[in-house]
Amino acid sequence: MKKKWWIPYAFLALPLAMYLIWVIIPIFQTVIISFTDWDSVSPSYNFIGLENYKMLFYDYYFLTSLLNNIKWMVGFVIVAIPIGLGIAMLMDQKFKGNKFFKTMMYLPMTLSFVVIGEIWTWILEPNHGVINEFLRGIGLGNLAKPWLSDPNLVTYALIFAALWRQISYAMVLFLAGLQSVPTEQIEAAYVDGANSWQRFWYVILPALRPAMVIAITVNVIDSLRAFDIVFVITRGGPFYSSSVMANYMYIESFNNYNMGYGAAIAVIQFFITLGFIIWYLINSFKKEDNL
Amino acid sequence: MKRGLVLLLVVILAFSAFAKTKIVINSNASDPAPREAFKHVVDLFQEKYPDYEVVVNTFPHEDFKTLLRTWLNSKEAPDVVTWFAGERMRYFAEKGLLLPLDDVFSDMAFEDYFPGSFKSASEYDGKIYFLPFTWYWWSVYYNTEIFEKYGLTPPVTWSQFLHVCEVLKENGVTPITIGTKYLWPTGGWFDYLDMRVNGYDFHMDLTAGKIPYTDERVKKVFEYWKQLVDNGYFLENHSSYTWQDAASFLFRGEAAMYLMGQFIKDVAPAEVKDKLDFFRFPIIDGNVGVYEETPIDGFMIPAKAKNPEGAKEFIKFLASKEVQDMYSKELGRLAANKDVTPPDAHAKKGLDLVLASDGVAQFYDRDTDPEMATFGMNKFVEFMTFPQRLDVILKQLEFQRRKIFK
Repeated sequence: MKKKWWIPYAFLALPLAMYLIWVIIPIFQTVIISFTDWDSVSPSYNFIGLENYKMLFYDYYFLTSLLNNIKWMVGFVIVAIPIGLGIAMLMDQKFKGNKFFKTMMYLPMTLSFVVIGEIWTWILEPNHGVINEFLRGIGLGNLAKPWLSDPNLVTYALIFAALWRQISYAMVLFLAGLQSVPTEQIEAAYVDGANSWQRFWYVILPALRPAMVIAITVNVIDSLRAFDIVFVITRGGPFYSSSVMANYMYIESFNNYNMGYGAAIAVIQFFITLGFIIWYLINSFKKEDNL
Repeated sequence: MKRGLVLLLVVILAFSAFAKTKIVINSNASDPAPREAFKHVVDLFQEKYPDYEVVVNTFPHEDFKTLLRTWLNSKEAPDVVTWFAGERMRYFAEKGLLLPLDDVFSDMAFEDYFPGSFKSASEYDGKIYFLPFTWYWWSVYYNTEIFEKYGLTPPVTWSQFLHVCEVLKENGVTPITIGTKYLWPTGGWFDYLDMRVNGYDFHMDLTAGKIPYTDERVKKVFEYWKQLVDNGYFLENHSSYTWQDAASFLFRGEAAMYLMGQFIKDVAPAEVKDKLDFFRFPIIDGNVGVYEETPIDGFMIPAKAKNPEGAKEFIKFLASKEVQDMYSKELGRLAANKDVTPPDAHAKKGLDLVLASDGVAQFYDRDTDPEMATFGMNKFVEFMTFPQRLDVILKQLEFQRRKIFK
């Protein structure tokens, strides 16, 4: 039977068309809007060249938001990944109640960020919040802080709340990765006298490389996408000190009627994210070449 | 064949007639009490005008603010929307997104329904675009139980006010509660202090972008504000709280005063309601007139409304004495319709407060440009957290003013 070359394309046509309408075209529209002064209400607008982008470099709030995104990224990579990996290693052992703990660890993943935001708003509340009440209860009242209204603390408090979910996500990725680590190799290492740390470092970790690349990429992209938790808990406040790019873009576009300026923020965010996606793709192609 | 066509035509007509009777209202009355009261208004309308089918979509305040622009531009625009008088309305009117309401008042003039002073807040370019429905006053709400406990009487002057704050603080009660997570409660403080220090005309010029924020007179406003901040009279960590969160400190008796609109009563638990009273924002300079904030809430019709006739019918119904009387009674608000008497003693006191004033403003975020308002109120919160940054904050406010009011 002769294969018809166009069959896969016919099946792809509909999803591709949808992708074009809802993803590709809006991206180009956003880029175009970012060169205008459109206020999203008026029917007309002017092209103002790179003016929006120039303004971003002088905009203290944008730079704060960008810096906060970097803090999110660092937190997601250097905290969520090692802890996620550690928990995954632990959960990979066979012990009683293993399934139960796995499920519990996975539970935050099932909640939406909005719900998580609402929960943490209460946990972090300065007067009657769980954390501060707990600290006061065990006699560490001087550690009780206004987590959400201190501009120097608020971003870390939000990252902490987000990590609660992000760690369980990393755990799931590593648990899946651990399934693919060949047991013969571990056993061989054991026979050769490698201790458990050596087995982890020289056998398991290299085998987890694909899972690691995925986990880092996903976490970096998630940190750049950060929005929901910030929006629900602080709206970027107090005075933008916990703002992230997505949140600032939202406020500029939809609250302050600066659609052009907001679009410029979105474009910057897009290119930063794109950089990491390219890094991921290069890494995954490299892996295929090695095989 | 011909008969078939006629039948088809009849069916189409019937359907279009059916579709026409639908009135879609998007409302921001999301707190339980106003929501319930508005439902009663709609029920009454349905009873009187059975030909119409009214659909009410209610949105939380903050979401409503951002969604409204989308609706006004969309082909599926609602027929009636709730909104605020003044600049906030004019912003849309000048872009041609609203329907003039002049023919609603064809048989009777606007002034026959409402106080003449409401006209300027409801019109743009000589046309009425806004139907005033309810309005309320701002003032310093206080917990009478706490005042009695410490033998305090409502202060009249600034120095008396400071004294009250001091006594409360000494007794471990937070003198003034405020929730600044959503920024706007700070606008009330700025407006009142500016009106008490510099008067109405200055304040209006400032919000219209005609006066630099670096002006010495503006700085003076912040210096009064700073006295309260430096002495620690405001609720700690106010930026963690919404306005309702902050109000609960007042209700629980942990805080004593709250500069707020009358709608604070909407969220007060029943057992607390009677313990709340209010006094006029203290006088700072006896030579400056006494001005109050009286935001007007009401309704508009989008230019792209599908059923403008039905919308006008509904708007006219809302303007009537009967409806405004019913709604204001249920919420204890003041009705815009001038024939409606204040629903209770509390409202009577509020009305008297306003009538005894020399003039009224809307509110910072209703009197100034929306972008300036967001920026400004963020800066107010920053000032309340870091009062030592005042000079930089004023410079930043001025930079923004020049950018916005070109």
